[in-house]
Amino acid sequence: MIALKLSRGDIVVWLLAATLLVGLYTAFWQSDGRGAEAVVLVNGKRWARLDLFQNQDLEVPGPLGHSHIQVRNGQVRFVASPCPNKLCVHTGWLSQGGEVAICLPNKVSLQILGSDPRFDTINF
Amino acid sequence: MIATFARTVLLFSLILAAGCERQPAVYHEQLLVFGTVVDIKLWGVQPQRGQQAVARLAEDFDYMHRTWHAWHPGPLGRVNELLTSGKPFTATPSVLPLIQRGSELSRLSGGLFNPAIGKLIELWGFASDEAPKGPPPSDAAIRAILDQQPSMADIQLDGIKMQAQNPALKLDFGAFAKGYAVDRAIEVLREMGIDNAVVNAGGDLRAIGRHGDRPWRVGIRHPREAGILASVEVEGDESVFTSGDYERYFDWQGKRYDHIIDPRSGYPAQGLSSVTVFTQQADLADAAATALFVAGPDEKDWLPVARAMGISGAMLVDDKGRVQITPGIRKRIYFEPRNDADKTQPEIHISAAL
Repeated sequence: MIALKLSRGDIVVWLLAATLLVGLYTAFWQSDGRGAEAVVLVNGKRWARLDLFQNQDLEVPGPLGHSHIQVRNGQVRFVASPCPNKLCVHTGWLSQGGEVAICLPNKVSLQILGSDPRFDTINF
Repeated sequence: MIATFARTVLLFSLILAAGCERQPAVYHEQLLVFGTVVDIKLWGVQPQRGQQAVARLAEDFDYMHRTWHAWHPGPLGRVNELLTSGKPFTATPSVLPLIQRGSELSRLSGGLFNPAIGKLIELWGFASDEAPKGPPPSDAAIRAILDQQPSMADIQLDGIKMQAQNPALKLDFGAFAKGYAVDRAIEVLREMGIDNAVVNAGGDLRAIGRHGDRPWRVGIRHPREAGILASVEVEGDESVFTSGDYERYFDWQGKRYDHIIDPRSGYPAQGLSSVTVFTQQADLADAAATALFVAGPDEKDWLPVARAMGISGAMLVDDKGRVQITPGIRKRIYFEPRNDADKTQPEIHISAAL
């Protein structure tokens, strides 16, 4: 074991390192489960990957027409879709990792990805 | 000083590197099949093998969907036509196992899970690709079907010959075909040597094995609000199925009519907003979730049904948001705070043991 003789400078470096480590740990591992990205699938194939903090509106083409998807401040939803029952629109806003909304008739699905999702799968 | 600094940086990098796990070896794919999104996660499987497995499941799900669809034309539709004829006919092999298992589960549930009430479901407008808009059917129309008491016991099976005498009988396996299909999918994965997997068909799932060095983590969605009500860890082999009044319903003159029809009254079951069942077999979990939903929020009504069906656990959320839960599940479940500001938990009542 090497005996460490710590100068004042060493202590400052160690303290900085420790602070940084705690900061990084918190940033990377203490996620609250809110996803930062979503993926849009059309007919099971990836059509787009969305940054949920970049507000935008998309017209996603499916067999029946365009599904309108909206991204606002970390959330995403179907605003309109050319399907008869509008189940996708009724699903409302999604924000948690793993949450899904789908428009089966138009074969468009929307799922939140989580960088560290708290759940492997969602039951509903 | 420089040497110390270099040593510090090296040590620090090592600490950081130790914190960075290798990306978990999960093969993940989603399928738009069986009228829903089927989400498949396989742990510790090479991508090529994962693709093979998922392609196989996609074919199977597609086949089962076409075969067992309650209102699209297909094998189940033909069986329904032949059943109403009253004459004996040769049972269709693709539908026979579903009829046998459906009859068994219906009997265990005391008839609360009843796949023979397809005519009632049709009358309410739920046997359609479109959501019904109301109005609800008339009492007389409901009574006309109820009076003939369609049940699985009306079907006589003799070897491969099948016959029924009840003209009000119509099979609709909507309340359990998904569970049956998930069981088949898990069987296929095991045959392929895949022992760590989750198959989630539109929110209802069966998980086997583990996610590497930890169990699978399952979030259970809140029946009334956006987000997660509770979470539970699953390992080994367990299904988690939920029946909820939010899945399919219509509102008429300020009243909600959900798709889970009580075979005793002919009306949508009342009092609960969701029932989550935990047990090994997915087909049992699926049928039991419906049966408990129909039984209603009173423990003396649902507990005997849960016991008779032999499920391992249940969680019921009533229409006021109160939770009833069996003791075994209570120990494993964690109720999520609704948000950072509000740490309140739902009112939780622990039931008698199963």
